[in-house]
Amino acid sequence: MKSNYDMLLEEFTEEQIRELDRIIQSCKGRPGALIPVLERAQELLGYIPAPVQRRIGEGLNIPLSQVYGVVTFYSLFTMKPRGRHTIRVCLGTACYVRGGKKINETVKHMFNIEEGETTEDRRFTYESVRCLGACGLGPVMVVDGNVHGRVKPDKLKSILDQYE
Amino acid sequence: MAKLKIEDLKKIKERVQSENALRDGDRRVRVTVHMGTCGIAAGAREVLSTLMKEIEESNASDVVVTTSGCMGLCSREPEITVEILGEEPIIYENVDPNKMRQIFRRHILQGEIQTPFVLARGKEQV
Amino acid sequence: MKVFRSHILVCGGTGCHATGSIEVKQALAVELAKHKLTDEIRVVETGCNGFCALGPIMVVYPEGIMYVEVKKDDIPELVEEHFLKGRPVERLFYREADTEKPIPAIKEIPFFSHQKLWVLRNKGLIDPEVIEEYIARDGYAGLAKALAEMTPEQIIQEMLDSGLRGRGGAGFPTGLKWKFASQSKSDVKYVLCNADEGDPGAFMDRSILEADPHAVLEGMTIAAKAIGSNKGYIYCRAEYPLALRRLDIAISQAKEYGLLGENILDTGFDFDIEIYQGAGAFVCGEETALMTSIEGKRGMPRPRPPFPAVAGLWKKPSILNNVETFANVGQVINKGSEWFSSVGTEKSKGTKVFALTGDVNNVGLVEVPMGTPLGTIVYDIGGGISGGKKFKAAQLGGPSGGMIPVQHLNAPVDFETVAQLGAIMGSGGMIVMNEDMCPVDMARFFMDFCQDESCGKCVPCREGTKRMLEILTDICEGRGREGDIELLEEMASIIKDSALCGLGQTAPNPVLSTIRYFRDEYEAHIKEKRCPAGVCSALFKSPCQNACPVGMDVPSYLALVKAGRLDDAYKILLRTNPFPGVCGRVCDHQCQSKCRRATSDEAIAIKFVKRFITDNGLKPAIQAVPVTRKEKIAVVGAGPAGLTAARDLAMRGYKVTVYEELPEPGGMMRYGIPPYRLPRNVLEGEINDIKALGVDIVCNTRVGRDISFGEINESYDYIYLAPGAHKSMPLGIEGESSKGVFGGVEFLRDFNLNEGDWIGGNKTLGSRVAVIGGGNSAIDAARVAVRLGAEVTILYRRAREDMPAAEEEIIAAEQEGVKIEYFVAPLSIGTEEGKVRAITCQRMKPGDFDSSGRRRPVPIEGSEFTLSVDSVISAIGQKPDVTFVPEETGISINRWACFDLAEGRKSETTNPKFYAGGDAVTGPWTVIGAIKAGHDAAGEIDDSIRAENGEPPWSPPEEEAIDIPFEIDEELEEQPQEKMPELDPAQRIVGFAEVELGYSIEQAIKEATRCLRCDAEI
Repeated sequence: MKSNYDMLLEEFTEEQIRELDRIIQSCKGRPGALIPVLERAQELLGYIPAPVQRRIGEGLNIPLSQVYGVVTFYSLFTMKPRGRHTIRVCLGTACYVRGGKKINETVKHMFNIEEGETTEDRRFTYESVRCLGACGLGPVMVVDGNVHGRVKPDKLKSILDQYE
Repeated sequence: MAKLKIEDLKKIKERVQSENALRDGDRRVRVTVHMGTCGIAAGAREVLSTLMKEIEESNASDVVVTTSGCMGLCSREPEITVEILGEEPIIYENVDPNKMRQIFRRHILQGEIQTPFVLARGKEQV
Repeated sequence: MKVFRSHILVCGGTGCHATGSIEVKQALAVELAKHKLTDEIRVVETGCNGFCALGPIMVVYPEGIMYVEVKKDDIPELVEEHFLKGRPVERLFYREADTEKPIPAIKEIPFFSHQKLWVLRNKGLIDPEVIEEYIARDGYAGLAKALAEMTPEQIIQEMLDSGLRGRGGAGFPTGLKWKFASQSKSDVKYVLCNADEGDPGAFMDRSILEADPHAVLEGMTIAAKAIGSNKGYIYCRAEYPLALRRLDIAISQAKEYGLLGENILDTGFDFDIEIYQGAGAFVCGEETALMTSIEGKRGMPRPRPPFPAVAGLWKKPSILNNVETFANVGQVINKGSEWFSSVGTEKSKGTKVFALTGDVNNVGLVEVPMGTPLGTIVYDIGGGISGGKKFKAAQLGGPSGGMIPVQHLNAPVDFETVAQLGAIMGSGGMIVMNEDMCPVDMARFFMDFCQDESCGKCVPCREGTKRMLEILTDICEGRGREGDIELLEEMASIIKDSALCGLGQTAPNPVLSTIRYFRDEYEAHIKEKRCPAGVCSALFKSPCQNACPVGMDVPSYLALVKAGRLDDAYKILLRTNPFPGVCGRVCDHQCQSKCRRATSDEAIAIKFVKRFITDNGLKPAIQAVPVTRKEKIAVVGAGPAGLTAARDLAMRGYKVTVYEELPEPGGMMRYGIPPYRLPRNVLEGEINDIKALGVDIVCNTRVGRDISFGEINESYDYIYLAPGAHKSMPLGIEGESSKGVFGGVEFLRDFNLNEGDWIGGNKTLGSRVAVIGGGNSAIDAARVAVRLGAEVTILYRRAREDMPAAEEEIIAAEQEGVKIEYFVAPLSIGTEEGKVRAITCQRMKPGDFDSSGRRRPVPIEGSEFTLSVDSVISAIGQKPDVTFVPEETGISINRWACFDLAEGRKSETTNPKFYAGGDAVTGPWTVIGAIKAGHDAAGEIDDSIRAENGEPPWSPPEEEAIDIPFEIDEELEEQPQEKMPELDPAQRIVGFAEVELGYSIEQAIKEATRCLRCDAEI
């Protein structure tokens, strides 16, 4: 059976793993450290697969079950690798009533993906989100942090063409 | 920086408040510098800078400065209008930095109209 | 001090960042430097200004001019014009939505002028990243007072006296919460700030944190002193990066200035604040779940007691308040509880911030005194409903809240009233919804949210929300069953009682609230598999077809026009509508109000294309249908309802006789609508087709006068009563019975009966005519009067947007020289020798809201004036004349003089032999509505007959298959509606020729091509 470290190496570089360890060490022993560590780990690695969770659990002396519990509980954390770009369509109420529903359907149909999935070419990861607080511009779509407001279904293609 | 004590709060408040006073409602005095192409050519920019410097040095927080376009009387440029709350507006002609300083100190701060430079009284009488 | 002559405050809230305010700010810096203005003009980036929909926003002081939707390309012009030459740039001013009137001064823009800014007092006015700007506006003065002059007990007493209640949703008194925590004995206590604003549609907390972060820090520090805490946490959602950054800066500046940390303001008090970034779980907004989350665990709530005031974060006494609550505290302490409690209602003090979103013109952040009427927020501040649609409801409190519908626009928005109406105040999300909102879909949306966000700890919430979602989804997708509504209600009450935390306990609220106000729409989904709002797309082919009362297959006939197959298109029209030529001219085209194309540019002109088909296509030949049924049926009234029922019944093999009082058939289509809108030959042609089927129409025969009711009753097996509504409502004012006063429909009928006399001058209105009313009859009467040579004034007691008449009719009347006076009501009619001479009127002003959402007109005292007129036409409404129906028939008639229908029936009256429909049941309505009534009646009569005979229900004959072409353009080019060619107004008023001339073939095809084919299955 492969060691946890070997499994980590399949996905990440040694440098990244060292950085992860540094994050873990800097928070070790602090009460409530797990969530901040996970947030920084995801920022560093992009996602938090099982081997990373195991390493964090061991490092912080927290059972893996608890780490896994927290990772799966909060929507911010993901266990799967992501696309080069992230499309997030806001399905908060204000966007929803202004046509967010239609945008959501159109994106899914365009790339043949469901929410939370990544296209086969890893170009896009698609997510719907609950209210970005930019309700004045609804319906809102965020691609890689760029907010596109008042999106109409027929404008989607030209917006997404900007992201290769 | 040194940690604040209660009395320091007040000092900061007074200082910054005068800097930001123009974001509040009406002020005692409004000076309009007429900045049409002709005004600028005749030196309105220098007049404006002089005025700003005067305000700064005198700590006068109740004076606001605005600019406006050409008044249509290009030969008398640079022109400024001084409006003191409750008094009729005074328009000065051929203003230069020296006159500006005089107008600021005597008229705006002390209330004496500088008659020799006056072009007109009242807003629409040019 | 450094003095600038001008400050430019560029909004740097999330909304404006998204629309490009950062670029605008950079461009400003470049351009000001280019003109050497950097020393004179200061650029400040502020927090959210609140008017997010019009971003990027900038405000220029000292003038106080607001520029909206500023792009970086506008900057060179702006700097040159405004800052160099002093000429404000008008094209970037805010414009009022309906009048397009530019309003430069921020103080005068209604969106801002109706607000009361307490919590948001610094928004858009200070640079949130500069602590001194906050201090300059009395920031930290409350803290200084609390630390130096007050004991913890005094602080708590001040908070109790102020009446401040938690702004997070539940409205618990803040002072009381603090008191409990202060009484707990512990060396460690915590002050927690809930900035995990997760309600969809709510962004108050984000804006406060972005615009005025120090206000929150100040409030927390005062709270810390009150309860004896030295450590605070702000739990802020990760989705708010800008708020997090500004908080971070604010905390480090406060520490630097000695306003946080050890020995604050040299008073010996220590307090520190740490930011805790939430990881995206809605339930963490619940107080115990939030604490569990800070402890590094899954954010699940825990049972109470113990309450957090006793054992909260890490089992230590803790208080949790939300951002807005803390932002109030500094001012309460600084200005005193009396100042704070001077505003608001008895039990709800101070102001409330709302994130006003949805279908209003002015989307943004709004702060108003507690108790402000909902209508004031929606209409005066929000600028009314966008796109000319109607207000349906406001949603408050997000997934835990409910709807406040149109009949409660006058309701004061405070904790108590909102709760009575079945919503909750919530944290302040106010989502305005127009007529296109489907309450069932909305309930499903919120339940989906709750189901998704349920943490799973307790069964009622985890399983209950899932089951409720399944039922709601079934209803939305056409699988609803009888009893579902009751089942939802039952589950809702169980979940409310048994769920562990607020999320579960409130999750059923949106369902209960929508059932309470929109039960009929739930029933339409379940019983008729119909979504009246046109949202639940599983229930219909296309929104236009769904909106049409008779379900005309709009996408198909548009596609056939595009393909040039007009004859086939005509056949499609006739499948559902016996009067397509009439409807192509006078229909109120509800289809167009739901057209999805309107979201891109403009709705398809469905009505005009329909008319084009009937003008140019080959009308299919009609063959008489042999009578195969023994039952004989009479119809009273040859209007659209009666004739449609007669046609349908004839097609099913019945012998039908229609009795009509007037000389010609057609009802209101013949005697209400003037010929310039509906040429007589068009109507005649379509009625002839009905006759050709074998229907007998007996004119000049009023039932009860020319033929007795008893005779009809004896000679026929079933009778359909469709006499219409041909009697004008009285004005109820002095002089009404004098010569020269006409009822609107009576005048139109007289004109249409005696056109020659009116045109020839044997009958006359005189030279000046006042028409009273705002409906289509009023406009029709006015336009006829203009054509008879009169000078016409319409007097209407409300605003133009409240007029029931079609917008295009109002415009046409104005073009023809009709003068319309709004907000005017008649008081009396002056006469001379029994003949009208003058009308005295009174001006009105808008008052509160009536149940239809329109403002009630209120008289202005002393505004009376008199117009001298020769005739008055009163067209304020019609009612049916049903006096021909004898009481002993047992047919029930209601107080509006309309027929009552039997329970659960569409047209059967309280006597099973008699059916009724059209305006005589609904009150004055539309042609297409009457056609629908006729279809329903024919169906019900035939079904009853067959059921009685023990026959199987009728199955319609096989329809000729018409292949519908299907081509969709991938890319959509913006292109508005084709304009209808019209007669010039000068030509129109000299006669009664048809005003609208009809599309050319090129126009019709172009218009049909604009169809998005929503019927497509993808």
